[in-house]
Amino acid sequence: MIDVRALRKRYGDRDVLRGLDLSMERGQLLGLIGPNGAGKSTLLRTLVGLVQRTSGDVQLFGLDPAHAALQIRRRTSYLPGETGVYQQLRGAAFLDFALGFYPRHDEALKAELLDAFALPLDAKVRSYSAGMKQKIALVATLVPDVDLYLLDEPDRALDASVRFFLRDVLQRMKQAGRTILLSSHHLSEVETLADRLEFLLDGALVSPERVQAARRQLRRRPRVRLREGHSLPTGARLVREEPDGMLVIETDDDAVAWLRHAPDGAVESAEIGVDRLEDLYQLLLAGGQQETSS
Amino acid sequence: MIWRKTLRELWLIGLAYVVILEALAIPVLLLWPEIYADLQRSTLFKSLGVDFIKRIGDAVSGRDENLAYINWCATMLLFRSCNLVATAAAVLIGVGLFARERENNTLEFLLARPVSRGSILWQKFWPSLLVVTVPIFVVNASAIPWSWSIELDLPRWELFLGSLHAAVFATAVLLLTTWASIALRVQAHVAAVVGAFIVMQLGVYMTQRIRSYSLFRLVDFDWYGPILCGNTPAWQMFDPFRGPGNTTYLLLACAAFYALSWRALRRTEP
Repeated sequence: MIDVRALRKRYGDRDVLRGLDLSMERGQLLGLIGPNGAGKSTLLRTLVGLVQRTSGDVQLFGLDPAHAALQIRRRTSYLPGETGVYQQLRGAAFLDFALGFYPRHDEALKAELLDAFALPLDAKVRSYSAGMKQKIALVATLVPDVDLYLLDEPDRALDASVRFFLRDVLQRMKQAGRTILLSSHHLSEVETLADRLEFLLDGALVSPERVQAARRQLRRRPRVRLREGHSLPTGARLVREEPDGMLVIETDDDAVAWLRHAPDGAVESAEIGVDRLEDLYQLLLAGGQQETSS
Repeated sequence: MIWRKTLRELWLIGLAYVVILEALAIPVLLLWPEIYADLQRSTLFKSLGVDFIKRIGDAVSGRDENLAYINWCATMLLFRSCNLVATAAAVLIGVGLFARERENNTLEFLLARPVSRGSILWQKFWPSLLVVTVPIFVVNASAIPWSWSIELDLPRWELFLGSLHAAVFATAVLLLTTWASIALRVQAHVAAVVGAFIVMQLGVYMTQRIRSYSLFRLVDFDWYGPILCGNTPAWQMFDPFRGPGNTTYLLLACAAFYALSWRALRRTEP
């Protein structure tokens, strides 16, 4: 359904996408993870024909967005990374406007989303909070009955309960055979949802082997809080101290084993196996190994 | 779809614009008898050193009152009100057409809909065109019944031709602003650039020896007066070879600005 080969996008003298390859099958849910400025939004914009590529090949449904953007957009629903909603319209009028471009809608999903989001559709959109604006943009994006959904950070400005609800909705859409490509900063949530994760870093996808290696390394990096008067037990070194007083450490071996063998009472609390994205990006950017050796 | 939203956003501006044009028209029409008497007594126009004001003075204080009134309407309804208010309305509406979408983060949303960029431009343009041009015809047509109340008449066809030319000029300004609104991205920049261009054109028009280089030469009293008096038939308005053809020049400018707007929108990236 999506086939991207050696995609490059250059703004001035800055390469935003650097020879990116990506493919995606019908019915898949692909999670695109990457830090700000990695090129996620540019990739999605290129797919939907909003941005012209500098070089490379891009095909969606066998069509090139540079030449057949309109045909692609008829089969695609795109949620921009920056919430774009018409503030002067009432919620209901905005939805009529946004959904009016598509001939077929999933009315059951629309009813479910509106019921769950409890949006005041009679009020002007300008009176909505940031989260409510994101919710109405989500309704406008998910309700059209199309072949492909491109969602740029759909969980932005949403609180945890709404994020979990959205995850369920996307899960059901996937089970119903919809194809979804979404970018996000919430690794753990996307991971439980996506058939496949791709890490985008500095304009290129990171190989799965490199991600696996970084994540293995990350599992040896627990966050611990030491009791007063105790120093860091042997078998671990300090990576950094966080503002909340927690220490990010790196153990020589398995973190659980290190914790089990730590002297009684030395460790007050510990977080193990939580993939913190910032740490993962840091490791990936550093090539996975350099920081350990330093 | 897009046109309906555009029309919904602009109708209030259109209404305000009709009210302003009408409010400017009514006093100059109803007070004509007193003004005409004053003009005949006054030598102010003739003593002024500005050539086009002298010509206006001669035309509106002539002995044939009906002809003087027609020239007065050419000056006040078309040369003054349409150039001033229609230009302002065209700039006001054009500035926000695309730059506001960009500032509000809705341009990306709009461009990602399954509708071509050409269609987006067209659906935003024609409601704006209606809002900018229809008031010109409505208010100028209303001058006919107002004139009856002072027992004078205005030539309908010639008034329509004058209004048509004013509407084409306003359209050219609207399209120039639309092009700037796509190309310059920020409303304040669009307003500054288009505003500076218009003020510069007006400044050139006010300077005697270089007046012919101003675009306002295409819409001044020397153009509207002969149209309303019936001395410039319709074919001369449109024929640049055998007549002045000013309307055709403006139509060509409209076509050029529309093409530039379409090209700029086709290339624009959110």
